[in-house]
Amino acid sequence: MTSSSTASGASGLGPWSAIVLLAPLTVLMFAILLYPLGLTLWTSLYDGQLSLRAYAELASSTLFLKVLRNTFEIAITGTLVSLVFGYPVAMHLAAQPPRRRTACLVMVMLPFWTSILVKSFALVAVFGNQGLVNQLLGFLSGGQINLPMMFNRVGVVLGMINFLLPFMILSILGSLLALDRRLILAAETMGAGPLRIFWKVILPLSMPGVVAGVLINVTLSIGMYITPALLGGRQDMMVANLVDFYTRQTLDWTAASATAVALLAISGLLVAMLGRVRGGLSGGAA
Amino acid sequence: MNAPSASAMVQLQGVTKRYGEFEALHSIDLSIAKGEFVTLLGPSGSGKSTLLNLIAGMIAPSSGRIIIDGRDATTLPTNRRGLGMVFQNYALMPHMTVFENIAFPLQVRGLPKDEIRRKVTGVLDLIQLGHVAGRKPRELSGGQQQRVSLARCIVYNPALILMDEPLGALDKKLREQMQLEIKRLHAELGITMLYVTHDQDEALTMSDRIVLMNGGRIEQQGQPDTLYFKPETVFSAEFIGSSNLIPGEIAAGEGGTVTLKTALGAFPVPAPDRPVRPGDRGVLLVRPENMMLTDRADPTSVAGRIEDSILLGGVVRHFVRCADGSMVIVQELNQPGRAGARRDETVRAGWTMDHARLLPPPPNTSLPAG
Repeated sequence: MTSSSTASGASGLGPWSAIVLLAPLTVLMFAILLYPLGLTLWTSLYDGQLSLRAYAELASSTLFLKVLRNTFEIAITGTLVSLVFGYPVAMHLAAQPPRRRTACLVMVMLPFWTSILVKSFALVAVFGNQGLVNQLLGFLSGGQINLPMMFNRVGVVLGMINFLLPFMILSILGSLLALDRRLILAAETMGAGPLRIFWKVILPLSMPGVVAGVLINVTLSIGMYITPALLGGRQDMMVANLVDFYTRQTLDWTAASATAVALLAISGLLVAMLGRVRGGLSGGAA
Repeated sequence: MNAPSASAMVQLQGVTKRYGEFEALHSIDLSIAKGEFVTLLGPSGSGKSTLLNLIAGMIAPSSGRIIIDGRDATTLPTNRRGLGMVFQNYALMPHMTVFENIAFPLQVRGLPKDEIRRKVTGVLDLIQLGHVAGRKPRELSGGQQQRVSLARCIVYNPALILMDEPLGALDKKLREQMQLEIKRLHAELGITMLYVTHDQDEALTMSDRIVLMNGGRIEQQGQPDTLYFKPETVFSAEFIGSSNLIPGEIAAGEGGTVTLKTALGAFPVPAPDRPVRPGDRGVLLVRPENMMLTDRADPTSVAGRIEDSILLGGVVRHFVRCADGSMVIVQELNQPGRAGARRDETVRAGWTMDHARLLPPPPNTSLPAG
């Protein structure tokens, strides 16, 4: 008797508990996510009559293909930069005693607590033509050097890694903390130097975290909208900006919807890959 | 400071390790000869693992010198000390196969590929695990993993192998097998081994010499039978083997014999090597297997009542409660119908004087009034 009542749910609401507990969110998700999404899909397919014409046009549109290539280039660049900057930070954090690590993690998470809009303008103040960095460079070089770091590809990547880094760091940190320190001690006693230990022991054993971090980063950056709009140049349009362009500039809602659906499909594919990597991890670690 | 000795593999000179106020090791002097099998034995917190980690270079001493193979290694990083180490949790690389694990130290040493293959195959044959070369460590049993971990050490022939409770995670039967296997490898390869354990049986089985540690100091060191038969302190006597200890006061000494006055009577004891005077406190030690149940009222016997007898396979243990409430354990070879048969009987537990040993009183014991 006791065990059966436990099995039906801790809430004590009996067999209805699942429905009662999940209903509010289900209704909300249906209203704000599934319904508009369905509408978007419908708009992309229905242009006076049901057809795939919008998708066919998308596939042959040089603009879309160029923007898609841009998107992948920016996403992959941002992810790689985030990996190169994030890995050493994760290694440093993993080496800290737990209390100090917690304090440092707060600093890693700090960007999350600031609006992306505020951060973007702050970046302009730091990296812009009249920004802190260029003023310092100009002062040091006697006005010879002024690096264009905003409103171009560099600006987009700078803005993006600001957002991407915490995900990369946390993901790699998880793998590094799971790494048995005695493996490193064992490698040391066998005579291995720090570089060999990194390449042969630490890096391979942290690969699950690296792969997960990379996939999260690519997935997040592929849908970026505000950052390229604010910090990029004309050439740095990403797919999300193209949707905006069709929606507000040309008012071609069918093309906008088809573009949005294509972006969603690509992101979904990446998320599915992410899920497989994670599932493979938990299976492989056993 | 002593000059480094040529015949010593490891020399510790006044090695001290402090963690803040806490002194984990108090000025340790220890020398380990080439080819020797030395065990650091002691309870947890006695400093044995700290000592091992100091020699491995994972921690630095607060003061003192560490000399490995004639070279001052006090500040040498771990990877340049030329050691091998076997860990309790095996510490095999989970992403490498058994073959790759054993090949790793050889790759570090830059050996050519075919020589690595030859050496790894050879050592896999030595531990009889050639058939698992392609498997990952997690596919092996605990005993197999520890053998691979051993193989990974001996394959590059380090001058010194450190072992930190390597059999602690294995069950009793496997542990005994592995003890013999490690002993065999030591005899065949002649590698100096420093072994850490808290298991006295393991120490007695394997070692050329046991270094018994207590509270960050070396309590006593010597061959296993010396530690067993000639413990110098109550701690040594109690840590290795079981013991009957009867505290008392030295009454008189003549020739090679002194008399110890105890609550159970006055007993003659062979005079210890150290000088003793009447009035000194002392503790009488007799091992349970050197005691026997007797009817005769010898001067080397105590009266009591058998409270319980338990069977331990080949031997039987009688617990004899004495007049003052203390307990004496008598261990005899087992015979059919022995255990329990004499329960509640009033007996005498006797020993021959040669088997008794007079130990100094343990530190921090207060003298009874009067």
